[in-house]
Amino acid sequence: MQFLGARHPPETVQGSRHLAASLLLFVPLVFAGNEIGSILRYPDVGSAVLFVPYAVLTAALVVSRPRDWVWYILIDSIAHFVTHWPQWPMSWVLLATVANVARALAAAVLVARLCDGIPRFVGVRTLWCFVVGAVIVAPSIGASIGAANVVLHGASDDYWRPWRAWFTSNALTAFTMLPACMALFSYTAGLNRVRVERRRLVEGVLMTAALCATLAFILLGSIERTNPAVTLFAALPILFWSALRFGAAGASGALTVITFAAIWSVDRGETSAAGLSDGKILGLQFFMFFTAVSVLCLAAIAAGREAVVQLHRALLASLHDHVALLDARGVMFEANASWRRFAESSAAPLHRARTGDDYLAACRSSAERGDVMGTALFDGVTKVLSGAEQHVEIEYDDPEPGRHETYAIRIESLERPDGGAVLTRANVTARRQAQLEIERHRRELSHLARVNVLGQLSGALAHDLNQPLTAILSNAQAAHKWLLRDPPNTEYATEILQDIIDDDRRAAAMIHRLRSLLKRGDLRVERIDAADLMSEALDLSRSELQARNIEPMTSINPAAPALLGDKVQLQQVLLNLILNACDAMNDVEEPRRRLELSVASDDLRTVRLSVRDWGVGLPTDLIERLFEPFVTTKSDGLGLGLSISRTIIAAHGGRLWAENNPGGGATIHCVLPVAEQPEVAIAEPTSTLPDAVRH
Amino acid sequence: MAIVDDDAGVRVGLRRLCEVFDLGVSVYASGHEFLASLDHGRPHADCLLIDAHMPTMTGVELQHDLLSRGVQIPTIVFTGDDPDAVSAHHTGLSVVACLRKPVESDDLIAAIERAVGAVVSDPDGPR
Repeated sequence: MQFLGARHPPETVQGSRHLAASLLLFVPLVFAGNEIGSILRYPDVGSAVLFVPYAVLTAALVVSRPRDWVWYILIDSIAHFVTHWPQWPMSWVLLATVANVARALAAAVLVARLCDGIPRFVGVRTLWCFVVGAVIVAPSIGASIGAANVVLHGASDDYWRPWRAWFTSNALTAFTMLPACMALFSYTAGLNRVRVERRRLVEGVLMTAALCATLAFILLGSIERTNPAVTLFAALPILFWSALRFGAAGASGALTVITFAAIWSVDRGETSAAGLSDGKILGLQFFMFFTAVSVLCLAAIAAGREAVVQLHRALLASLHDHVALLDARGVMFEANASWRRFAESSAAPLHRARTGDDYLAACRSSAERGDVMGTALFDGVTKVLSGAEQHVEIEYDDPEPGRHETYAIRIESLERPDGGAVLTRANVTARRQAQLEIERHRRELSHLARVNVLGQLSGALAHDLNQPLTAILSNAQAAHKWLLRDPPNTEYATEILQDIIDDDRRAAAMIHRLRSLLKRGDLRVERIDAADLMSEALDLSRSELQARNIEPMTSINPAAPALLGDKVQLQQVLLNLILNACDAMNDVEEPRRRLELSVASDDLRTVRLSVRDWGVGLPTDLIERLFEPFVTTKSDGLGLGLSISRTIIAAHGGRLWAENNPGGGATIHCVLPVAEQPEVAIAEPTSTLPDAVRH
Repeated sequence: MAIVDDDAGVRVGLRRLCEVFDLGVSVYASGHEFLASLDHGRPHADCLLIDAHMPTMTGVELQHDLLSRGVQIPTIVFTGDDPDAVSAHHTGLSVVACLRKPVESDDLIAAIERAVGAVVSDPDGPR
């Protein structure tokens, strides 16, 4: 019977204690209920106007373990017998008992099943499930058996009149009393262990007093009671109070009191309902029924709304990030626990803002004092509040001396008619340090790749360097001899010395170029002539090309616009591309070993540098993956060169891609933005930017 | 002497060094240029000084070319690399010496003497 879904205490000892407590409550209620039902009875059909035992038994069954059900059913049946037998025939009482038990069982099973346990009346859905199970289906079952009983015993010729009487009285009972009864039995069964606050207790007592006073005024006062239902409207404010503040259980309790008072007022002084017309009873029942529907709906909606609010509060409080809400004027109206804690521990004026403070004004005054972070925050908040931006993100270092933390604050528009903004602040120190670390590693790697490129060129570069040195040595030795002559040929020696000076400068320039490529320097952004860049890369690699019998061809547009970037890094990329092209032609017949370097300006905004080879071409499945780390077509390659090259080009705001040529071989294109464009910003070490504010 | 080197600075330096020793020198910027200077297949020089690394035609290629034309000329090869490794490429050719760049005048003269089979006199006295 696990499907009933009610959660029960696992321990048997505790279970017995709860059963005893519940039975202690159950016995007086069910006996009193039968007695009341017996008094408030339709004269001929044997059905009560309001049948309390239905609510009491159903509530007890819903909250208890199925194995305890037998006790409740037994006691209920005994109470029914004690009240009605022998005034009524044995068979009548027996069948009525069957109807009562079947109805309560059906209600308990349906309610627990449909509401997934004991109904909590949070949101309208539970209420409708409760209505279907306990107000419509179960009373119909009871009414069908009860009406048959009436007809069988000849008390009525009509089946539907007693059916209607049974149904309405039980539906009304379920509506008005069942939620309160379930709350009571939940409490005795140990399922509802809510600590009652003193304030709520006082409010409950006050509400009960107000209800009793209102009812006494209506019922005992001198107001003319033409229709009792009309005067009962005076109790509506208190019903709403109970629904909004004490939920469905509280509303049900108040409804129960009002129902009894109403019945008493209709039936004042009489011991049975015999004197009442069906119409009057029905009117009263309808009034109570619709009042109950409205009030319980209100209670369920209010409880649902309260649950949502609580959930949002809990979520906000659980967040590690500091969250605050601003209204359209920029005044903070809500801040979570993280925000408040941070505000308390902070000395910076902007960090100290709390609920009720005008955050925008705080930003403005901070900006007026010349605080960079205040200015950035003021701009951001203003933009979001005015709707100019959907969200703004600002990263800044803690302005407080001695705190080396970095924060990222996100200002996001609050999507509601009143406007406003959500501020979310997170401590991103760790992330930022990780970024810097990655940046440092990237630079190291890029340097290593550069050293690697030069390593591959070392043979050719040594040859290049040996040329001026050979010339210098030969010239120097020749000059030496001329000067030793008698007389010394100083004129010729002077001419030779001039050549030595020129050759020495040639060697020095070459060493300087190599040194700058080998240096582990920081990024240096400067204007670079694209044609020069390509020509220098060719000069550096010319000897290597010679050694490999590769014929270089150039197609360089000397009028190509200047670039903005780091010359050493761009040189590294071009050398890498040239060496790759050379490697691609290792197995190619000599006349086809050609390399074309081109510099073109396709449009005014970009310059395209291309390195084309007539090698084996690239496998099509590798063309895009080629730029991923550790992807290589060479047997001895690490697969880092192109990946680093692409990173460098991307940092320059450019694009690097490969394609196969229709005539064989491959071309690598590199498109870079020209220097004139104002938005060109190199996304390299952020540490070179001012530390105070980074957008 | 015939000097073949693609680098103008090196050509001039080597020419001057040879001239100090009163050796007649002609210079060529490439192997092709030297081949073009052959007079009916005969060189104007007794000794050939060539750079191992040159564009369009390397030292080895030039020697093979000469060999195929039946030209026998004692040759001295310059290289920036390991001279032993380079001379291995030239086995079977008329290479007298393989010298590492930059080249010392004493080594050069000694190699020339071996190539032409005569003593090169130093006009300034003992070396």
